[in-house]
Amino acid sequence: MNSLYKCLVALVFASITLSSSAQDLVNKIPADALAVATIKGKNFTDLMSLKEFNSTFIGKEILSKLSKGTDKAVNSVEDLGFDLSSSLYYYNLSNDSISYNCFLVPVKNAEQLEALYTQANQKFIVKNGIRSYYNSDSTEVAHWNDKFLLFVIGTGKSGYFARPEVAERFKLSQAASVGQAADSLSIAVPAQDEIAVDSTMVVDSLEEVVAVPDTIGYDYGNTFFKDEQKKKAVVAGWIQLMVDDFFAGPNTTSILNNKDFIKSIDQQAEATIWIAGADKLFNTYMPSTYLKGMSFLNGYGSANAKLFLEDKSIRINTSMAFSDEIAGVFKKVLKRKLNKRFLKYINEDKAIGYLAYAMDTKAYLEQYPKLMSKIYGSVYADEIGMAADLFSLLLDEGAISKVVKGDGLFLFNGLSQKEVTYKSMDYNEENFESKEITKIKKETLPDFLFMMSSEDTRLIDKLIAYGVKKELVKNSSGYYELSVPKSPLALYFMIKEGIIFFGTNKKDMQDIAGNRYVANVSRKHRKVLMNTNYAGYFSAKKLFGKISVEEFASTKKLEKLNNVLDSMGDIYLKSNPIKGNIYSGEISMDIPSNQQNALKYLFSLVEDAQK
Amino acid sequence: MLVTTYRYLFLIVFVLFFSSCFQVVEEINVNKTGSGTVNLTLNLSASKAKVASLMLMDSIQGYRVPSKQTIQKELEEIVSYLKKSEGITNVQKKMDFDNFIVSVSFAFKDVANINTVNQNVLKKLKIKGLSNASYAYEPKTQTFQRSYQYTKATVLEYNKLKPEVKNVFKDASYTSIYRFEQLITSSNNPLAKISKSKKAIMINTGILGLINGKTDISNRITLSK
Repeated sequence: MNSLYKCLVALVFASITLSSSAQDLVNKIPADALAVATIKGKNFTDLMSLKEFNSTFIGKEILSKLSKGTDKAVNSVEDLGFDLSSSLYYYNLSNDSISYNCFLVPVKNAEQLEALYTQANQKFIVKNGIRSYYNSDSTEVAHWNDKFLLFVIGTGKSGYFARPEVAERFKLSQAASVGQAADSLSIAVPAQDEIAVDSTMVVDSLEEVVAVPDTIGYDYGNTFFKDEQKKKAVVAGWIQLMVDDFFAGPNTTSILNNKDFIKSIDQQAEATIWIAGADKLFNTYMPSTYLKGMSFLNGYGSANAKLFLEDKSIRINTSMAFSDEIAGVFKKVLKRKLNKRFLKYINEDKAIGYLAYAMDTKAYLEQYPKLMSKIYGSVYADEIGMAADLFSLLLDEGAISKVVKGDGLFLFNGLSQKEVTYKSMDYNEENFESKEITKIKKETLPDFLFMMSSEDTRLIDKLIAYGVKKELVKNSSGYYELSVPKSPLALYFMIKEGIIFFGTNKKDMQDIAGNRYVANVSRKHRKVLMNTNYAGYFSAKKLFGKISVEEFASTKKLEKLNNVLDSMGDIYLKSNPIKGNIYSGEISMDIPSNQQNALKYLFSLVEDAQK
Repeated sequence: MLVTTYRYLFLIVFVLFFSSCFQVVEEINVNKTGSGTVNLTLNLSASKAKVASLMLMDSIQGYRVPSKQTIQKELEEIVSYLKKSEGITNVQKKMDFDNFIVSVSFAFKDVANINTVNQNVLKKLKIKGLSNASYAYEPKTQTFQRSYQYTKATVLEYNKLKPEVKNVFKDASYTSIYRFEQLITSSNNPLAKISKSKKAIMINTGILGLINGKTDISNRITLSK
């Protein structure tokens, strides 16, 4: 089993290294798959050759791990026998009783794959040209022919087995008196060979196997373990049926019939994850017994994420489809744009990163009851209805949205060092008598500025006046200083032109108050900030050399950190405007100009971190 | 997406806030008769800003942050325990919440009295790894023995901590000072330093070495007769 995992790990990475095209296996994926992940081998090999991969740090690690415990060293990922000229896939199938995690991989050389198992002392059987490997309880199986390998991990659902009629059907002791069941039942775990040889086994016959007295001496003397073994035997039977069906013939209900899946395919993407429905997936994995009737993702539809490794950047694009109702809620909540005046206080020369958000507080508060009724509505319709009315009655959405309009910008302007005093013990040489002395050290502190829009600042003004009265707030010219005892981090705030400012830099505050703040925002950032509801930026490179050595145990460690910071490209994130019922976003990282492509750059980052 | 970035920013701020250090100081004055005084100090002053920030929170990264009241209450418990202990007198406590320095001192009738109370006090102060210590004074042979046995449990406990919290111990130091009326003639711990007067001996080492068992602080000190 271990070796199989190794193979799979290798497989994922090996996908980077193989070229040419072969038959695509996607049509073999059933139409009812809940999730499909695709790795496009060819796209990877275009970026890095097989030879190059073998000599990378990760390549070497994988090869050495694969060689461990085998008779013959694996020198190249090509020797694994997989053909990644086509894409490789992971997909999930689930129903009320079982969840199958399946890996579907093209095979280039079945003999090489066999040799891999043989060298790792893992047994497999051959029947009708299909090689089959089973783990000890047959819940993890691998079957392969000359064209492809299917590896399946099956997990039975506890909720299903807990149902009284199911427990009775499979003679699980939890349905009967525990003591009695333990005495009268023992198990016959289908040994791997039994299942492997009898590929025509069906669930009914498996049940018989389960019910017969212990024939192979597995008696744990514990009803729990016996139940678990019985469940696993049932699961093993289902897996066998599924696999037999898979290898039996053409797939008449292919995922290629799913329009949404087809739409998610992007030939340029190196890897894609597609989810048939966020709500379906949520309901599949959430314990229905506890959350009966509640649907947290009600109205959330299909989703996908795509990875693009390009010449100049690494990008992950994500998108999710919503029902008309939920999309309508989003459209209302996201109609607000960022306050344009925030741009007057961004200085790109010193900004290391930012996070900006813009949503409409009024719309959100108005839509909130609707969202709640979508989640709990089916169970607590009456209660939710009353709560929603009460919510609207108590809250004046309009008034709140004037105080907090819903947009904000957090600017991370770097790190600064401040000298602080502290007490330490000093000992005289004469008799080591101790004396408390005051020492000075440097503290590295974050420098930030946060802005949010507010139309009605009366409440905040009152709070400030109260703070000043209680001497918690100090009034300076045009801005306030918040007194935080013992903290070297000074906090300042002010309200100006409908913006509440909150920051750590005194000079910034003075400049803002005196209309002297020098802003510098490039068109690129201006566009991202003003055209999206969520935007983020982080430039690790700008942190280079700004972290004090006192914060690190060794200069060497700091050097290493600085090297990593220096080699990292700028990171951006943004949301796109909602289009139809689809809301999407993107996270990307620039690649330094001296790098050939994104994949090689990622590998170089790993190599750097190992140095 | 946003969550990841927030986490990243938070991590940087968090690492800066948590890379702090503290001092543990153990001072024992031993008279010829075997009686003497003990002074235990925990000094977090070098990290006072960070400690103050942390104390504003209820818990951080899953660890509960004790309040000022909780710390005061625990120290009171230590003091009342000491006051009731056999051979222990003149128990005093000092709490400086401006600099985060806490110390407990007391007088003992016999060195053996410390062994009984020391473990409990260290336990109360939650200083693990130093609790397998015992002291012995032999007036006949004029030797003072500081025994210390490392247990793997300490490093196992330490390994359970989150990496950010482990940082707290990175620069933490432990100092022991023993003062005598007589002159010190020898000591068998190479880390120990004898004072000019030859009446005091000190070991100053990192706490991390005690946690991972790399540092041995046991010592056999021979005094002049």
